[in-house]
Formats: sequence, structure tokens, C-alpha cells
Amino acid sequence: MKRKKIIRVLIVLVVAGALIGVGAGLYMFFMPQRNVQNLPVDFQVTASDLTEEFLNDITRANQKYLSADGESKILEVTGKVARISENFNGEKVVLLKDDDDKAGVSATFTHDTNQAVNELEPGDVVTIKGVIRSGAYYDQDLDMFVNVTVEKSDIINL
Amino acid sequence: MKSKSLRNPGNYGNFFLRVMPVNSYYGTLLRSINILVVLIVFSGLYASAQDDARLVSEKSHIRFFSSTPAEDIEAHNYSATSTINTGNGNVAFSVPMQGFEFDKRLMQRHFNQERFLDTQQFPTARLVGTITNLDAIDFSSNGKYDAIIEGELTIKGVTNKISEKGTVTVNGNRVTAESVFDVTLADYGVEFTSGRPASNIAGTIEVTVHAEYQPQ
Repeated sequence: MKRKKIIRVLIVLVVAGALIGVGAGLYMFFMPQRNVQNLPVDFQVTASDLTEEFLNDITRANQKYLSADGESKILEVTGKVARISENFNGEKVVLLKDDDDKAGVSATFTHDTNQAVNELEPGDVVTIKGVIRSGAYYDQDLDMFVNVTVEKSDIINL
Repeated sequence: MKSKSLRNPGNYGNFFLRVMPVNSYYGTLLRSINILVVLIVFSGLYASAQDDARLVSEKSHIRFFSSTPAEDIEAHNYSATSTINTGNGNVAFSVPMQGFEFDKRLMQRHFNQERFLDTQQFPTARLVGTITNLDAIDFSSNGKYDAIIEGELTIKGVTNKISEKGTVTVNGNRVTAESVFDVTLADYGVEFTSGRPASNIAGTIEVTVHAEYQPQ
């Protein structure tokens, strides 16, 4: 009688454990992408300071801003709009770059945030929130300065 | 004024030398300045001729595609930077690796991790090469041309020689380049011998590149 009870409890535990395991696995597998706009901001910077930081010491800046799992820092970048374009995915791309700066911050918006760019014009000073993907550096093969890239952007009204 | 002195730079020197005796200190100095001016003017012209031949792309699409019986996985990147020098055929690409986006967040995290592509340590992949059949491409005439690129591809800090085919399409000021080629992950130190990655990620990935260039 007692043995039967123990076996029954064991079966329940194993099944429960398996269900939790499968559930956790499925959750991990189908885990949705981060919603960058809902996440807290890690750094508030100007486009000039951010590019300067990378141009001065890219290794250190990479360590500071890029995460090992690719889910890098969330930034609020303030700068002057130098150019507005669109990428092959139909997302708006706003380049924040001061006239005297060697490199700027290229901020890619999303299909959901694209309309925020409509009212923007070159010369405007704006603050954009987004996730950093890569830093600025001088590329000798391209023979040009490569911009910082920020994605999943939206304009922040301060 | 400028072009006249260029056509006959000697005149300039003669002018100075008429004012200053040849063997005087100032005469020698002026002669050096004269040569320097000519050099600067010429290097300026040379540089602008180089710039004219340069195409820059900040609008591109790079796709990774992996196919195994277990599943198909793809990732897209829209933030690469590239240049083509139409004068000497040099081509360069800089691709921010964290810009590759997957459907599933978990896959994207794996992709970036140390044992996969270690994107914190190696944030950009690079392609540096030369169009070897530059003669066959007329950048000033509309049309679609076959291109052969030879060079080096660097992923995760590992560089391998590559030779790939692509097409260059010229439409007025707008030049687009397209190429599809295979990348063997093990060549770049990305290798899986067991577990899910080994069964679900193909050893050879198909890479599709599409870039639009503007003169700069």
C-alpha cells in the first residue's frame, strides 16, 4: 500500500518536472524579441560624445556598449539631423551628425515608429532612443569613417 | 590663373627668380615653396580624381540562410557600409554583426555568443577585395554586368581568401551590386560537433548581398 503511494507521488513529480521543463524550453524557444522602446535607458549621450568615445578607444567602447549576447545597451542619443533616408526593409534611417564631426550615429527606425520621422528635417536637433549595434571607427579599406549604428529607434520628446 | 600656372609651372618659378637672385637664401626658399605649391595643387587634383571614382553604399541587405532537414534559419542585416572604387576595382564591406536579426530571440542570442560569432569581441565582419574583370564593367553606361571579386573575408577575426561572382547594375547615377555565395562556418572557427546546433545549423551558410551605391 505504502509502496504504491510512493510510486504515485514519484510519477506525479516526474510528469510535473517534465511539463515544467518542456514549458521552459518552449518559452525560451518562442521568447519574443525585446521591445527596445519599453526598456530602461542605459546611457544618455550626445552623438558627438558617443562617436568620440569609439574613435578614441574602440575596444573599451565596445566593452562598455556591446553585450556578449547581442542584446546591447539602450541609448538616448541627442544630435543634429544630417540626413534622412530609408533602408531596403522600408525603415527610416536618420543620421545624427554635427557638421564638424568625423562620424555620426545612424539610427534605424521600425515599421511602427517610421511615422515619427515624417516631421523631421535636416538641421533639427532631436533625441532618439534605440539599441546600439556597432561603434564608429575609421576604416582604411573603405577609406571613410563608419557611423555608430543604432536600431529599433524612436524619437523621444523631452 | 590656376590652370595657366599648372600648364607651365616653370613660369611661376621664373617670376620669383627674376625678383630674387638664384643663389640667395630667399631664392632657394622661394624655389622650394614653388615646387611645394605645384605638388600640393597636383595632389589635390589627384585626390579629387580618386574621389570621383568612388561609390559609397549605406543602403544594403545581407541575408544569412541556413538549411538543414531539422529547420531553415535566416537572418537579415540592413546596416552594412560598402565602397567600390571604379578606378581600380577595389571593393570593401563592413558589416555590423549585431545587426543580424532573427525571427527568434533565442537564436539571435546564440548567434552573438562567444562560441558562435562572439560579436562583442568581433563586432564587424569585413570583405576586402578587387573586381578582377573591371574592364568588362562600364560604370558610365546603363546595363547589367557580371563581376568577379577576389579578396579576403574576415569573420570572427579569421580571414580567408575568397573568389565570388556577382552582378553590377548601372542605372544612371545609381549602381547596385548583388551576389550570392556560400560561407563554410568551420573556416571561421564556428564549428558544432554535437547537440542541437550540429543538427539544426548547416555547416555551409548561403549569404546574399544586395547593396545600392551613390557616387561620393
